[in-house]
Amino acid sequence: MSTSLSTNAFCLQDVSKSFSHFKLEGLNLSLPQGQIMGLVGPNGAGKSTTIRLLMGLLACDAGSIEALGLRVPEQIEAAKRRIAFVSDDMRLFGTATLAWHMRFVASIYPEWDEVYARKLIRRFNLRPGQTMAKMSRGEQVKSMLLLALARRPALLVLDEPTSGLDPVARHELLTELMEIVRDDTRSILFSSHNTQDVERICDQIAFIDRGRLVDSRDKENFLERWRRISVDVPGGVTLPRLADVVDLSLGERVAVLTTDNYLPQMHALLEQSGARVQEVQRMSLEEIFVACVMRSRAEVQS
Amino acid sequence: MTSSVFWALVRKDLYLMRGFMIATVLTGVLGVVLSAFGRVGFAVGGILFITADVASGIFIAMYSLMVERKDLSRMFALSLPISGYRYDLSKLLSGYLAYGIPWLLMTAMVLVHFLLPGAPHGMLVYALLIQGFVFALFSVVLASLFAVSSEAMSGVVILVVNICFSLFMVELNQPTISAPLHGPAIVWTPFATMAVTGDAIVLALSFAYALFLTSRRRDYI
Repeated sequence: MSTSLSTNAFCLQDVSKSFSHFKLEGLNLSLPQGQIMGLVGPNGAGKSTTIRLLMGLLACDAGSIEALGLRVPEQIEAAKRRIAFVSDDMRLFGTATLAWHMRFVASIYPEWDEVYARKLIRRFNLRPGQTMAKMSRGEQVKSMLLLALARRPALLVLDEPTSGLDPVARHELLTELMEIVRDDTRSILFSSHNTQDVERICDQIAFIDRGRLVDSRDKENFLERWRRISVDVPGGVTLPRLADVVDLSLGERVAVLTTDNYLPQMHALLEQSGARVQEVQRMSLEEIFVACVMRSRAEVQS
Repeated sequence: MTSSVFWALVRKDLYLMRGFMIATVLTGVLGVVLSAFGRVGFAVGGILFITADVASGIFIAMYSLMVERKDLSRMFALSLPISGYRYDLSKLLSGYLAYGIPWLLMTAMVLVHFLLPGAPHGMLVYALLIQGFVFALFSVVLASLFAVSSEAMSGVVILVVNICFSLFMVELNQPTISAPLHGPAIVWTPFATMAVTGDAIVLALSFAYALFLTSRRRDYI
């Protein structure tokens, strides 16, 4: 996961960054080229700090960062030629129009695709002659996304791009991102606390909480391994000690086990103990995320 | 390749501040024109000219740095292929240009005005002293805004700068100092020489301070 290979879109190794009230500790994270990673965490988890370190906006206290095979922040100018960045904390110049912004960005990036930009204007229903100050939040986000996409970046970094968008605008944005994904040479890092968005478009997931990476793996791997097992436990029956059970809720007759490594053998072991398995449920990404975070916090406290 | 981004950002700042720049020059022109209409006109025109001079300096420095930070467009600029260090340099250069261009035009206007036949040529030095002082003050404001990030502190900077300007005007208008400057001949008095030298030193120090701060910065958000 942490090896620095030229085939990685980015790679963070043992990265730490301290502020007066927050610390990002020993972060190891990488994304193979052509993949989409969802960086998921609660507010204040360190998602934006991670992205700002990757974009060279902050300098790390320890560790090393590479983006598209270039060292950050030393070679950030060259790296940013091929990286586009859109953030919830970003705005365009309020007194300038979208058309002006398009000319401005086109003058910097030779890869600027005017035909694609015009297509996005129509798709997002934007008015190029309108100043940013007069656009709604959704229109501003779409404008930023247009400026990012039409430069055809190799790596697209999106920090909470859907935050503050209405459901329709969010749907349009995610649909556009899924279009981009078809081109498997492009990579996307997508941070959000909305697990539905992440589940829809990402193929790699990284959970982050309180400045620490909680877990990072393939989305399908997450969804396949995590299960919630409801078990009927008659009186006098003791449940066997099972490996990989991260949470156990005991009721009067019913126990609910949460496992991060479900194997069919678990079913048999529980039945052999005298318990009766009522249901084995797949978990949503949100449920997996919450379980991961709670387990991580418990580990840190213990 | 990188210098093109640097210059694109400088051009962008000049484009976004063009309204202030044009308004400054037009107000200055109005001030010079009014000053030709008797004593009252001279007083009103002079106040208008000096107000345009000082206010535009503060406004441009504030707009160039504080507004971009506050309205979050700084993040967009920093997403472009430029390092944080060179981004800061572009802000420094565009700030000096956005104020310097109108300042230069206004300075040229007053020079021409006081060199016209029949004008009190001595006032040329008086006007240059004011112009030199306001440029030095602008440089101090710009450098200070590189150091402070809070609105409260930038307010303090502006307050101090205004007090400095008022004190300078009081000193400049002392009869012993201003009398030789109101005559028909251009006279560089010891005070005038000292003031210009002081302006040059302040300008150089504030510029160096801004460069120093920029070179030490590691975090840009």
